[in-house]
Amino acid sequence: MSTLLTSRIMTDVFGGITSGAVIALVALCLVIVWKSTNVLNFAQGAMGMFATFVGMNLVFHDTNYWLCLVLSVATGLVVGGLTERVLIRPLYGKPEINPIVVMVGFLGLLEALVPAIWASSFNTVPSPFSQVYFQSHGNTVLLSPFVLYQIALALGVMLVVALLFQYTTLGLKMRAAALAPEVSRLLGVRVNRLLTLGWMLSSGIGALAGVIVSTGHTLDATNLDGIFVSAFIAAAVGGLESPLGAVIGGLLIGLAQQFILNYWSANLAPLAGVIVLLISLAIKPQGIFTRTVTRRV
Amino acid sequence: MKWLTTLRDARPTTSRALGITLLTLLALLITFRLSALDDAKLASGAAIAIVVVGLSWLIGWSGQVSLGNSGFMAVGAYVTAIWANHHATTPIFVTLLLATGCGALSGLVLALPSTRLRGPYLAGMTLAFSFAVVPLALNFPSVTGASSGLTLNFLNAPSWFAGLFTGPQATVNANAQWSADVAIVVAAVAFFFMANLFHSRTGRAMRLIRDNDVAAELTGVNLPRTRTLAFVISAAYAGLGGSLLTLLNGSVTPQTYSIALSILLLTLMVLGGIGTLSGAVLGGLIYSYSDNLVSLVNKVTGVNPASTFGANLKGIVFGALLILTMLLAPRGLVGLGSQLVRLFAQLRNRT
Repeated sequence: MSTLLTSRIMTDVFGGITSGAVIALVALCLVIVWKSTNVLNFAQGAMGMFATFVGMNLVFHDTNYWLCLVLSVATGLVVGGLTERVLIRPLYGKPEINPIVVMVGFLGLLEALVPAIWASSFNTVPSPFSQVYFQSHGNTVLLSPFVLYQIALALGVMLVVALLFQYTTLGLKMRAAALAPEVSRLLGVRVNRLLTLGWMLSSGIGALAGVIVSTGHTLDATNLDGIFVSAFIAAAVGGLESPLGAVIGGLLIGLAQQFILNYWSANLAPLAGVIVLLISLAIKPQGIFTRTVTRRV
Repeated sequence: MKWLTTLRDARPTTSRALGITLLTLLALLITFRLSALDDAKLASGAAIAIVVVGLSWLIGWSGQVSLGNSGFMAVGAYVTAIWANHHATTPIFVTLLLATGCGALSGLVLALPSTRLRGPYLAGMTLAFSFAVVPLALNFPSVTGASSGLTLNFLNAPSWFAGLFTGPQATVNANAQWSADVAIVVAAVAFFFMANLFHSRTGRAMRLIRDNDVAAELTGVNLPRTRTLAFVISAAYAGLGGSLLTLLNGSVTPQTYSIALSILLLTLMVLGGIGTLSGAVLGGLIYSYSDNLVSLVNKVTGVNPASTFGANLKGIVFGALLILTMLLAPRGLVGLGSQLVRLFAQLRNRT
C-alpha cells in the first residue's frame, strides 16, 4: 500500500485531481453562463480574481481567512450581477461577436485594474490548514490537509450546484429559462432575473475558484488565466451545454496536464490542451456529452 | 468629378490601385518631415495595421472571431528571425513572403477543425492557441533563444537613400526613415490586396455567410472552404505583420506575442471600425501613438505615471475604450461620423 500511495503515478493523480477540480469548477461556471445567456464569458477568470482580491487582500490586514472567503464570494455575486445588467443585457439580440468582444475588453480592463488598485505585493495567502504532506511508511504522499481542503471545497460546490439545478424550484426555473425563455415567460417565470442570477452564481463560484488557487500561493491578477483556458477546453470538449461534461472534462484536462508536466515538459502542457481540443473537435464538433441538435433557420 | 465615378465603376481595380498609390506617396512624403522617433512609431504602426486589417477581414467579413492572431504573428516573427540569421543576404520581400506563407500554413492547421465551429468555440480555440505560443517558444531554447529571444540585423538604408541625408544624425535618420518607408510600402501592397479581396467573389460570399449561412449554402457557397480561406488569409496577414515588426525591431522575444497582444489587436480593430480598410489604418495609428494617448489621459486625470495606477493606465484605458465602443458605437471611429450626423438630424427633427 505504501508503495502505491507514494508512487510517482499516484503523486501525479493527486496533483492532477487538485488542479483538475479547480478547472472543472471554472468550466462549470462557463457552462452556466453559456446555457443561460449564450455568452462565452472570456472574463470569467479575471472577474474571479477581482473578487478574490477584494476579499483576500484583507488577510494581509489580519482579517480572518473564512471571513475573507465569504467576502470574496459575495463580491463575486455582486460583480456577476452587475456585469450581466450593465454589459451583457444591452447586447441581447445583437450579433454573437458583440458580447465576445465586450467580455474580452472586460478581461483586459480587469487585468489592468487589479494590479493598479492593489500594487503587487507577492504576499502569500496563508492556508487555514497544514500544508505538510502526509507520510506513509517513511515516504511522502503528495496529499496534505490543505490539498484535501482544496479538493473538497471544489467538489462540494459542484455538488451543491448540481443539487440546486436538479432538486429546487429555483433550479428548475433557471433550467426552464435557459431552455425556452419565451415559454417560461408565458408561464410566469421572471426570465430576466434568472439570467442575472445565472451570472451571479457563476461569478460567485468563479470567486471561490480564485480563492482556492490563491490560498497558499501569491495573490496575482493572472492566477486564473491558465485555468480559464483549460476550463474553456474542458467545457468545449464536453460540449458547452453539458455541466457533467464540463466537470469530467476539467478533471481529465487537469490529470493530462499533470502527467505531461511531470514526464515531458511544463512548457508543453498548454499545447497539449490545444491538441486535445483539436482532436476532439475534429471527431465530434458539438462536444462529447451533448446530443446533436439541428439549428433552426 | 464625374470622370472619377466613371473610372471607379469601369475599372475598380485600377482605381483602387491609383487611390492607394496616391495615399502611399503622401505617407512617404510625410515621413520626410518626421523625426526618427516618429518614423519608428509609424513603421510599427504600419506593421500592426497589416495584422489589424487581416483580423478585420476575418471578423467583419466572415463573422468569425479569432484571438489567436498574436500566435500567427509569432510564427511569422520567428520564421523571419531564424531565416535572416541563416541567410543574411535574402532580399526583404522574399523573407516577408516566406513568413506570410508560414503564417498561412499555421492558420490552415488550426482552421481545418476549427472552422466547422461557430463563434465562441472558434474564439476560445484560438485563445487556447495563442496561450500556448509563449511556453512553446520557451520550450525549444536552441531554436528560439528562450526568453531572451533572437536578434537580427536592422534594416539599413541603401547608400542611394542614405545619400539624401546630411547633418550629425544622418545615418540614424536615414535608417529610421528607410524602415518607415519600407513598412508603409509593404502595408500599402497588403491593403491593396485586401481592398480587392473585399470586393471579390470570395468577399461577397463571406458577407453572405456572416449574415445568413443557410442562404449562402443554398446559393452554392462552400461553407467550410470559404470559412477556412478567410481564416488562412487572416493568419497570413498576421504572419506578414509579425515578420515586418521583427525586421523593424531587429529582434523577437516570446513575451511580445502573449494573449495581451491578441486583445490589443481586437481593441485596435474595434476602435478603428470593424471590416473597413480605413478603420485598420486608424487602428495602426492608434497603436503608434498609444503612449501619447495614455500620457494625455495621465495629464487630464492627474494620475502620476510612476504610480502603480499610472503604470497600468494603458490597459485600463484600452479595456474601457473597447467596451464603450462596442456598446455605444459598434462601428468604431469610421462609423462615428455618420452616427453623429444621424443623431444630430434626429435631435433637430424632434424640436
